Amino acid sequence: MDRRHLLKRTGALAAGAALAGGISTVGQGAGSASAQDAEFDVWTTYTDPIRAELMETIGNAFGEANGVTFKHRGWQTEELGKTLPRSVDSDQGPDVSQVNNGEALAGPMARAGQILPLKEYDAEYDWSGRFAPSLLARCSYSSDGKTFGEGELWGLPAESEIVGFYYNKQFFSDNGLSVPATFAELETALKTLKSAGATPLVFGNLDKWTAIHLYGALQGTDTTREYLDGLIYRRGNADFTDTSIVAAAAKLVEWKDAGFLMDGFDGVSADDAQALFISGAGAIMMQGSWAAGAVRDGLGENGGFFLMPPVSSDVTVLHVGGVGIPYSITRNADDPDLAAKYIDTLVSEDSFARFVDAGQLPLGTIADDKIVPDTVTGDLYAGWNTALENDAIGHYLDWAAPQFYDVLTGALQELLGGQVTPEEFAGKLQDFYAASFA
Amino acid sequence: MQPRSPDLGTFGEGRAGVARPSPSRGSRAGSPWLPYLYLLPGLLVFTLFVVLPVIAAIAISLTAWNGISWDTATFVGIDNYLDAFRDDRFWTAFKHNIYLIPWYVILPIILGLAPAAFVHRMKLRGSRLFQAGIFLPYIMPGVLIGVVWRWMLNPVFGPINTTLKDWGFHPPTWLGDFTWALPTIGFIGAWAAYGFCYVVFVAGMQKIPTDLYDAARLDGANGWQEFRAVTLPGLRRELAVVLAVNLINAMRAFDVVKATTDGGPGDSTNVLALYMMNNLGGNRAGFAIAIAIMLAVITLAQSLIVLRLFGDSDD
Repeated sequence: MDRRHLLKRTGALAAGAALAGGISTVGQGAGSASAQDAEFDVWTTYTDPIRAELMETIGNAFGEANGVTFKHRGWQTEELGKTLPRSVDSDQGPDVSQVNNGEALAGPMARAGQILPLKEYDAEYDWSGRFAPSLLARCSYSSDGKTFGEGELWGLPAESEIVGFYYNKQFFSDNGLSVPATFAELETALKTLKSAGATPLVFGNLDKWTAIHLYGALQGTDTTREYLDGLIYRRGNADFTDTSIVAAAAKLVEWKDAGFLMDGFDGVSADDAQALFISGAGAIMMQGSWAAGAVRDGLGENGGFFLMPPVSSDVTVLHVGGVGIPYSITRNADDPDLAAKYIDTLVSEDSFARFVDAGQLPLGTIADDKIVPDTVTGDLYAGWNTALENDAIGHYLDWAAPQFYDVLTGALQELLGGQVTPEEFAGKLQDFYAASFA
Repeated sequence: MQPRSPDLGTFGEGRAGVARPSPSRGSRAGSPWLPYLYLLPGLLVFTLFVVLPVIAAIAISLTAWNGISWDTATFVGIDNYLDAFRDDRFWTAFKHNIYLIPWYVILPIILGLAPAAFVHRMKLRGSRLFQAGIFLPYIMPGVLIGVVWRWMLNPVFGPINTTLKDWGFHPPTWLGDFTWALPTIGFIGAWAAYGFCYVVFVAGMQKIPTDLYDAARLDGANGWQEFRAVTLPGLRRELAVVLAVNLINAMRAFDVVKATTDGGPGDSTNVLALYMMNNLGGNRAGFAIAIAIMLAVITLAQSLIVLRLFGDSDD
């Protein structure tokens, strides 16, 4: 009797708990539907305090001006990529989210109707008129969501990225060097530093991806807009049989053999390499614009930046770079018009100024009053403006095909490890690229 | 209720005078459904969090799905499994898991057994502290272990290479070296696991009756002979446990690899779990889940073999 009574009570309790849990979840769903009228959710990949605060500042001001409660949530990029589609499918997604370009996420989500096309908002806010077409192309898909790099906008980024060389001015002045204006001068500088016993290039490729930038930067000295766009947007005849692919690989091996790359680079991570550079372990580090803040804080006046110099003055280098992760409107947005207005707020001059203050590159040109000469950020911003003006923002080569990142990074490690020749390296890339069209 | 006569009873072994529950009514003596009611909560949780996801995983593995929107999934039967069998990178990753077995399984057993036997024989004081310290790596998250060893093995500022260079050696870059990366990961795995083996063996040794040791000594056995004749057979069950657990860890190695080499350099440390995750991130969810199912089956088969070989035997 006692046992049965106890069982009954326990069972009732358990059932009650389950039911209550179910109700509260349903209630949450129903509640958030009505709360979403007043709540405006934005998901981004900003987990660091600087950029998270940036989002809060811009978002709270937007919320106040438009009578909504702004709520920001930061995710790791990979986690956002896995969570967002499922959240949108179960109507638990945000109004606006960063959605990784191309086939990584944007393409599949566009085709599945999980994000909204921005064509009419583009017409309303004239984004295509205000920002560089080559930048917006990488946020564009055809209206059926199948062809990348053309058609309509499906997302709009607020930031950009460009990769170049940070340098330690002390090393340069100690060795009588100035910022190289040509590729030949760069190689001379590297040789001089090596002969003086300094580490020319602080480089760490343990986590695989930094080689994409170094290799891409070398390839970018010998390429055209037409070829690179064709390769990345997968149109025309562009593929990895191009001579620039083998030539850049050979040059990379040449630099390694000449000792320009830091000793033991294959066992050093990118973060550790950056820390080593900032602590004065070497003269130059190739990294993206995202590292400017850290270099500025670490090296101070001793820090500088320059983009990959051209082989000659009549050739334009296509610099490794692109846009930050674009913002898209999900189909869960209660008020897509408001969502579009928010996105437009992110690309306003005011927001751009805030991004610059936080050490980020905005989508457009940077105002002159933000460019402090002879500082690392000043060098970066000036370089960015010039590259934008010359339509010289290239691509990240791992975008060429789905899952290409894995193949490219592995092949680069094999190239740098002497496991494959430059020709074999190019062959591996071409085999995978060609097969990805099947 | 009157107890039923054993002559009429049909349940279990017959023993006179023992009341048997009526099958038809939940009586005061206990309903036949009672045991199942006790099992129900656990069974519910197990069903929700294990059975249903496994069924869903098997279903997904039979589709070509990019992992984004389920509407786009198409049924492809066993194509994903066939693709895996035909995929060189799958076999390379599998080979690497097999290579890790001696490191993740045999080495920690040796490294755990030796000090355990020593401590047990010498009846050392302070062994509890030693035990806590030696067990610590086992409870560290794999990612943390990876990050710490990445720093230790850093070719530029890590203590291992700087010491070796000071002594005049030219050490490799370990995690960045095509030859050394996988053995290095194996070593890290052994380091993480031997504390667990030690603790299990120490506990096991304590339950071996001391008169067996006395008898062995009376027969003139030395330390090594005692170990072989008394200790090892007495640890049969513990050996089965550590073998099974470490085999599972070898097959599902992921955290340490991801946090150190991410499968590199090249493909030289790629393992099945990492390959699966990369395919999941590469929008090949169906294929990735098929790899996961195969990994689960392989791991289960290995565990069953170990338990069969070292199975129950009364001491």
